[in-house]
Amino acid sequence: MNILDGLLKALQLIFSGDPRIVEITLRSLFVSGSATLIAALWGIPIAMFLGRSNFRGKFLVKTIFTSLIGIPTVALGFFLFMIFSRENGPLGFLGLLYTPTAIIIGEAILVAPIVVSLATSAIEAVDPDVASLAKTLGASESQATFAVLREALDGIFLAGIASFNRAIGELGVAVFVGGFIAHVTELLTTGIKLEIDSNNIDVAMALAIILLVMVFGINLALNLVQRRKK
Amino acid sequence: MKTWIKVLTIAVAATVLIVGGSYAYFQYFTRTRLLVSTTTSLWETGLLNATEQAFEAKYWIDLGFIPVGTGQAIQQAQGGNVDALLVHSPSNETQFLQGGDGSCRKIIAYNFFTIVGPASDPAGINGSTTTDALKKIVDYGRSNNTRAWVSRGDGSGTHTKEKTLWAKASYSYTQISQESWYASAGSGMSATLNMANEFGAYTLSDIGTYLKLAKDHTISLVQYLAETKDLLNVYSVMAVNQTRHPSVNFSNAITFIKYLISDDCQQLIDNYGKDEYGESLFHSAVQLLKQNSTSQIVQWIKDYAFINGTECPPEYRDPRYPELYS
Amino acid sequence: MTPIAELKNVTKAFDDKTVLEDINLKINQGEVLALLGPNGSGKTTLLKILAFIEKPTKGEVCFDGKKVVNRNFEQLRLESTMVFQKTILFSASVYDNVAYGLRIRRTSENEICEEISRALKLVRLEGFEKRQAKKLSSGEQQRVALARALVLNTKLLLLDEPTANLDPKNASIVEEAIAAANRELKTTIVIATHNMFQAKNLPNRIVLMNNGRANEVGTPAEIFGKLSKTLASFAAVENTYRGTAKMTKEGTTSIDIGNGVQVIATAPNTGEVSIFVSPEDIILSKNRLESSARNVFKGSIIGIQDLGSVVKLRIDVGKPFTVQITKGSFHDMRITLNSEVYLAFKASSVQII
Repeated sequence: MNILDGLLKALQLIFSGDPRIVEITLRSLFVSGSATLIAALWGIPIAMFLGRSNFRGKFLVKTIFTSLIGIPTVALGFFLFMIFSRENGPLGFLGLLYTPTAIIIGEAILVAPIVVSLATSAIEAVDPDVASLAKTLGASESQATFAVLREALDGIFLAGIASFNRAIGELGVAVFVGGFIAHVTELLTTGIKLEIDSNNIDVAMALAIILLVMVFGINLALNLVQRRKK
Repeated sequence: MKTWIKVLTIAVAATVLIVGGSYAYFQYFTRTRLLVSTTTSLWETGLLNATEQAFEAKYWIDLGFIPVGTGQAIQQAQGGNVDALLVHSPSNETQFLQGGDGSCRKIIAYNFFTIVGPASDPAGINGSTTTDALKKIVDYGRSNNTRAWVSRGDGSGTHTKEKTLWAKASYSYTQISQESWYASAGSGMSATLNMANEFGAYTLSDIGTYLKLAKDHTISLVQYLAETKDLLNVYSVMAVNQTRHPSVNFSNAITFIKYLISDDCQQLIDNYGKDEYGESLFHSAVQLLKQNSTSQIVQWIKDYAFINGTECPPEYRDPRYPELYS
Repeated sequence: MTPIAELKNVTKAFDDKTVLEDINLKINQGEVLALLGPNGSGKTTLLKILAFIEKPTKGEVCFDGKKVVNRNFEQLRLESTMVFQKTILFSASVYDNVAYGLRIRRTSENEICEEISRALKLVRLEGFEKRQAKKLSSGEQQRVALARALVLNTKLLLLDEPTANLDPKNASIVEEAIAAANRELKTTIVIATHNMFQAKNLPNRIVLMNNGRANEVGTPAEIFGKLSKTLASFAAVENTYRGTAKMTKEGTTSIDIGNGVQVIATAPNTGEVSIFVSPEDIILSKNRLESSARNVFKGSIIGIQDLGSVVKLRIDVGKPFTVQITKGSFHDMRITLNSEVYLAFKASSVQII
């Protein structure tokens, strides 16, 4: 099958709303969205702490998070597989292996360093006196914290987008702890791999197009929102 | 300090909600899940997709296949991470049963491996026996210093079979796999066939995957050897041993095995791909073995895939389900 | 009169550095109080304690008759607000900046809208609501910051060097708005400054601060009357010098402030005097200028402090002088540490106190 044929068939599949492709797309969105959300909920407070305090070893902690950004997904996937492995793994009793939940947890761990690093930089870039300013205008401790976060919003947005992109595009974790089971843990990336293995180039191409359009589209939309705000 | 506690509470609560919610949704609000790791060749032909649909239409069980090589499938089963496995490597299966991790083995289907290569047949293997063909390929590769052979190289059933064939032709696998004409793909059957196609090299393939790719015109490789005893390919199913791995979904695994050996499913296996490829990709084995006919193919299967003269020695059967072997 | 705020034996230390030591101070309802002292004398910290941003290390603070404790700390914060020396704005519109404190106080959006236009009028920024605050000029930005504090109508308004970084036009708008707030809204105001003129004209009372201590409290007249005697300990205030004055033949006064520096002033005086030259009145040049300025000195840059739109330079001409120039001139003149420059100021710019 040549590229053009594949492309045409792929577009046909997408526009006819092929139920399997819709399902895989929605699951991918849900899994990477949840992973990003969890990573943000944990990562932003950590970033807040790192960005606004000074302590011995802060540089080391930041360096560790920065280097974890590049953690190979395959290594993390394998490591998590060992942990979630039902009988030998320390968390095997949870029965999470080969569930979407396991992928969510794995991807959240994968992208958390991105959130922490980028958000820390964004928060560090905010004038340290913004918290004092908010307070003197009447803000309580938490309202002042929120004011600082809002000043760092652009950077935090970027952290979120970068995390989501990494989560939705990764394969290692999804393969190892998800096992690409059809209708259960199959995602866009694992779907592409599987369909190429099965020589269904058109389906693989359809999934790849969706993945690219989605990553591009989400970035575009968020950038437009950002620009309008300016 | 209060802020931190608040933030921490939110983070924990949201995580528990998402993790717990998605887990509960996928675990309890859907059917009971039966996980089967399977060899890639079965998956890639689409047979398992058809089987899954038929099975799920009949039972309130969510069947999930994890397509990996036989080697990895066995590892997953040994860790109790799956409930059953569908593989095609009798020697590995024997070890697996003897290791105490498996039970209730049933041979469900067979077909043949085939050696495929470029249409020009540069090594001139057409019409040779398997052993001669391999020798010619080695000679061709060594003398022309070109990529002559692509191997799965992934510990799959096909890979195991290939090693057996090299041994039978008196080559040391460890030695030839180091030579420059020998390429190890380390991936699934389709990828290996595509690679052989690109290199203009020979490879060992299961017939199903080969026919599928050839029919799609993805590859122009030609089939040279087929349907001889040393190329026999036998698929069997095993449940993961419940005594050793108490967390597995054993009863549903038995339901699945029973379904695979049922007349319905056997017919489905027999007919799969007939319309599309003009010949069956797989042949049902259950009736054949039950009738215990003296035909050549039954003898080949017994020689190749039986363990101590039976498809499953009694110590690996489950006394609660004698009907599997009646 | 009941004091709006009272500090009793307040000490504040950061790590082991004491920045305020045993401060006792009453701030009366409705007054304008100036904290006068050099940089690092503890003025800002004192304001932050009154703004309930910092807590004292030792001592007691009472506000509006209530003792300040942890429990009412965040509550009392709503009654006192501070405008920082460095202008800080939220990345939002002028409207949203000024609305911030009102929204915290859960004021209705209608009321917010009215209050904001009133406050913007006070700082002469009518119609600026929708502009992006950070895109305004630095003078306008500082006025937004003032409006943001004024709009809250708090019992206590704290201003940290409100005009230090401003050009004369913006400075006078700010001073008028401060005076109006005190006059019309009866807001009690505390201003930290090291500008002698501001200290002389705006406040009812002055607190002289140095090295974390409140040395003297009094009316401007009392303080300035005493100032020449206590100035020895107070010399760190910018461009304030002590020297011996004598009359010249031309009818001007020549003051020898030491190290061979002779300053010419117009006001007649003799004997021991203190003089002050406003940093804004000094002209800086790379070459000696032909001008009417009677005081011209050659010196080299010993300090550069970036304050946003303006830059403060310390120049050693024998005695250190502080000069304030705009960022634009700073870049045009390519000034670096140790650059050789000339200072010039008119004899009439020299204030004898």
